[in-house]
Amino acid sequence: MKRSRRVVLTLMGSAALATVARPLAARPIDCGPGLTAVPGANGVPYCRAIAGGFGGSFQHFHGHGHGNGHGHAGG
Amino acid sequence: MQRIACPERDDWRQTAEACGFDFHTIDGERYWDERGYYAFTLEEIEERIEAPTGEIDAMCLELAGRAVDDEQILTRLKIPQTFWALISASWHRDEPSLYGRLDLFFDGHGPAKLLEYNADTPTSIFEAAVFQWTWLEQAIERAIIPKAADQYNSIHERLIEAWKKVGSGRPLHLTGLTESSEDYGTLAYLEDAATQAGLATAIIDIADVGWREGAGGFVDLDNRDIELAFKLYPWEWMFHDAFGAKLAEAPTRWIEPPWKAVLSNKGILPLLWETFPGHPNLLPAFFEDDPRAAEIGTSYVRKPLYSREGANVTLVSGGVPFASHEGHYGSEGFIRQALAPLRDFDGQYPVIGSWLVDHTPCGLSVREDAGPITGNNSRFLPHAIL
Repeated sequence: MKRSRRVVLTLMGSAALATVARPLAARPIDCGPGLTAVPGANGVPYCRAIAGGFGGSFQHFHGHGHGNGHGHAGG
Repeated sequence: MQRIACPERDDWRQTAEACGFDFHTIDGERYWDERGYYAFTLEEIEERIEAPTGEIDAMCLELAGRAVDDEQILTRLKIPQTFWALISASWHRDEPSLYGRLDLFFDGHGPAKLLEYNADTPTSIFEAAVFQWTWLEQAIERAIIPKAADQYNSIHERLIEAWKKVGSGRPLHLTGLTESSEDYGTLAYLEDAATQAGLATAIIDIADVGWREGAGGFVDLDNRDIELAFKLYPWEWMFHDAFGAKLAEAPTRWIEPPWKAVLSNKGILPLLWETFPGHPNLLPAFFEDDPRAAEIGTSYVRKPLYSREGANVTLVSGGVPFASHEGHYGSEGFIRQALAPLRDFDGQYPVIGSWLVDHTPCGLSVREDAGPITGNNSRFLPHAIL
């Protein structure tokens, strides 16, 4: 008998669909090699690692939402 | 196996959105479709789908174990040589896999046949694990389907157990294309299961993964080390991205692990046929430039080594292409697989998705299309065991 089970979700349906939002204003600071200054949650800039090193291939295959239906990385 | 038309639950959209399934309709087109369901017998599920799924997975693992150290195979699969050591090391370290989905031809007559293995970034896990189970329960309550109906589905609980094993108490980042509602929904569901397994979790867009120089490693937006990362972003894209060059240096453990890049490549189809010729659950397949491809004859399916959602797939009958999907894939080459025409169920063509979690067969999903190629716009229908 494969049916006698409960499926419980604890996070889905309650969390907002959102990426991290950061305030745009920041004053330039020198973070040194391999780091970039970004605005912190309270507007004070902080240094974090340079990102954007992944994701380029998706843009290559799917542009910005164009081509081959709705672009996504799954299959 | 039957396709049975049935009434929809009149509140299914609200039910979907209440549990975060907001990609039930994509670009205005139905994706979740409960105007019908596929019914299977218990014998079909247990003997002709579940058991062969385990056997196919075992064959794939045997092939992977050989492939990761075989330069000829890795070359054939067009995996860049830079990453061969990464792939081999991940196999020999026994880095765990969380899940995968075999796409099978099955129409109730004869054995299931492997069409391809979504070993790296399978989607539709939420629909398979959760929403079609909700459908089953409510459809029984509302007398839409027989009271004794069951479903081949233990995906959710197995995912939680698998996360406990894979996670080993480490914080988990889940990453992918968060702007895609479908991909974000998949990440959110896997995060939910990981949270229930006791892991601390965070979702981060793939483009926000950072690299820390010095003590090299991938970090999140708060400069926290990414120790364990689930990625809904394929290995072949990781390899070609700028940060691909950092993969070998980073201590991050990835789910799915690098060795899965072998199995998500459609080149495994001819390799499986070569290794296990005549196996009842395999279709004859060859690399397109292999002279033996002529053995298949003039009716076959042409598939790129790398593609997704049916892109750049062509169906050929008697030497004449009769169906194809466009796309941007194929630069690495193609394979040919014998044509197993999907059976027409009331004008629809279903493909079985057979799920494995921690290498255990544990669930089934069905996607159907009005055309013979399963693609981005193919709908997900629930199933029941009657």
